[in-house]
Amino acid sequence: MPGFDFSNYNRNAALHARGVPLPKATSTGTTIVGCIFEGGVVIAADTRATSGPIVADKNCEKLHYISPNIWCAGAGTAADTEFTTALISSQLELHSLSTGRKPRVVTCMTMLKQHLFRYQGHIGAYLVVAGVDPTGTHLFTVHAHGSTDKLPYVTMGSGSLAAMSVFETQWKPQLTQDEAVALCSEAIQSGIFNDLGSGSNVDVAIITDKKTTLKRNYIKPNERVPKLKSYIFKRGTTAVLNEKIIRKEDLGNFVSVHELAVEETGDKMEVDA
Amino acid sequence: MSSPFSINGGACVAMVGKDCVAIACDLRLGLQALTVSNNFPKIFQYGDNVFLGLTGLATDLSTVSDLFRYKVNMYRLREERNIAPKTFANLPFICGFDSIGCIDFAADFIVSGTATDQLYGMCESLWEPNLAPEDLFETISQALMSAVDRDALSGWGAYVYIIEKDKVTKRLLKGRQD
Amino acid sequence: MDTLVARYSRPAYHENEDFSEEERQGLVDSVPSLSLKFAMPPVAHPSAWLRAATDDRSNPSCPIKIAHGTTTLAFRFQGGIIVATDSRATAGNWIASQTVKKVIEINSDLLGTMAGGAADCQYWLAWLGMQCRLHELRHKRRISVAAASKILANLVYQYKGMGLSMGTMCAGVTKEEGPALYYIDSDGTRLAGNLFCVGSGQTFAYGVLDAEYRYDLSVEDALELGSRSILAATHRDAYSGGFINLYHVKESGWEKHGFSDTNPIFWKTKLEKGEFSNVTSDLSERV
Repeated sequence: MPGFDFSNYNRNAALHARGVPLPKATSTGTTIVGCIFEGGVVIAADTRATSGPIVADKNCEKLHYISPNIWCAGAGTAADTEFTTALISSQLELHSLSTGRKPRVVTCMTMLKQHLFRYQGHIGAYLVVAGVDPTGTHLFTVHAHGSTDKLPYVTMGSGSLAAMSVFETQWKPQLTQDEAVALCSEAIQSGIFNDLGSGSNVDVAIITDKKTTLKRNYIKPNERVPKLKSYIFKRGTTAVLNEKIIRKEDLGNFVSVHELAVEETGDKMEVDA
Repeated sequence: MSSPFSINGGACVAMVGKDCVAIACDLRLGLQALTVSNNFPKIFQYGDNVFLGLTGLATDLSTVSDLFRYKVNMYRLREERNIAPKTFANLPFICGFDSIGCIDFAADFIVSGTATDQLYGMCESLWEPNLAPEDLFETISQALMSAVDRDALSGWGAYVYIIEKDKVTKRLLKGRQD
Repeated sequence: MDTLVARYSRPAYHENEDFSEEERQGLVDSVPSLSLKFAMPPVAHPSAWLRAATDDRSNPSCPIKIAHGTTTLAFRFQGGIIVATDSRATAGNWIASQTVKKVIEINSDLLGTMAGGAADCQYWLAWLGMQCRLHELRHKRRISVAAASKILANLVYQYKGMGLSMGTMCAGVTKEEGPALYYIDSDGTRLAGNLFCVGSGQTFAYGVLDAEYRYDLSVEDALELGSRSILAATHRDAYSGGFINLYHVKESGWEKHGFSDTNPIFWKTKLEKGEFSNVTSDLSERV
């Protein structure tokens, strides 16, 4: 696997000690949860992404595709959850192609933990892994340092305490699908309203042995009230010193590659779409 | 000691309108307090209607923008087509990245640079859905100008690109020079 | 009762100014101690503690951000003294204000300028105003600029190393001194001179000022030069900007010559005089 380069690690640590601030990465100060029910598993997430004290994205996607029957909810450094899940998804696809079997949730979890352990927590991905495979329904958490848990209901991220309080008071064995979805979205809303790092909407994914249903923005408890008045400026407000219009037909002047007539003989090169 | 993100200064903003998108940048290049150049655009073009706005350390902007140009040209030679798919023209689209590659797919606006906080405030209040190209120009321009007027490290004029299906309009704004 | 009144009242002034040695000592003692008592933080080294809490250069996330970043200038010429400043206050890269008054009117004759800590300058120049007034009441004549500037210099020297941050110029015109200009900073430096620029934009202001400055400048040209020097500094220095605050100090007192936005002045200077050709007003041929 193409690796990370840590050769500047000591330099950066020395600079940081001298007062150079760390670059701000987008992080998902997050609430993510998962819960097993009779016949499947539900995972859910809020949709706020933060950069320091700023809300960088009000409606981001924290539920990541691994395979049709396995999905991940991610907390921590946004880029790390995004790329780690994409990497494992790709490896799992190749693995399933080579074995000719449907991917298993334990396999996914093991690959994730081995990858994260190798980087000793420097990859800041905190994940809830859920899925249904031929061996049954599974729900795991994977921490950035590589430790994992297997539980009937889980929460992670900065809003995990708020979310867990909902599970601890309302969870019961043998939930129905609808009950599980309601419980998970209740837990996420508890994070949205009580944790400053979490906010906006609730995303839910329901995985059963039959199918996976992704409910993007399942609940939108924080819709912005439309502005009562418009801030559209009168055209001509902005002082312009100069203007240039490039029309599509003129664009050829700025592009160095021109269409060439191709002879319609022999095999045509395969070009997608 | 100062952060590489704020040695040179600079601000960038992109917005979605109705059948159009806009991207704008300031023109300052500084070395801490000293303004070295007032003609340092931070928007780069990579095809008929693909634009990239970069902010941060100037030397990295040059390196990264040149690297992208190289990659886009190689792609174009390899694929014998422009990097923008035909569908792109019918799909106004913007997105943002943090410095380690997390993509922010936004339906409204993207901001970056030393005036980020100010830009968030301006865009959050001025932007509204379905702005026509002419209105989008006023909105993005006023948002950028007001934001950089409260940031010591950016400003000194601005470029604004309005990207429509059949044309791109580039304007140089008259901004404060202090 | 009469004895009580006699004990606590004094004639408005003595006909005879000849003070005895005792009286002279009494006058000196009546001046409040220069070292005023301030509440100090309960730590081993208050000044180091203050520096750690306020120095945004070494620690950009310091808890207290002191507003600074300035261009101020003053110069002597045949018609008096020109004092000019910008008006920007920054806290880190954030422009906290564009309308700061950096010329401090100590009294109707004396001006002080503000660079460094805004609070330090405002407080101590206001305090200097009190000392100047007390001097007038005691001696029945205006204080000289030399004496006023020395009161301030002595004061800041007493606080040396304790975290004061000021770079100020004292300007005034008296019959005895003519146009008098002094530079005082929180290190305790006190310099007399024809021409000073202070602040983060000082070098840019010096550049213009040195090129055009002559002692026999007309009042009109001197005002224009002060304004143009500040404009140059606001253009190149990120931490200077906003409005140009312009004053002319004469023997009859100071005269204000406007608090003018740099934006229209800049474009007027560029478009009408052809200066600042570095600023583009055309789109380059490259798209």
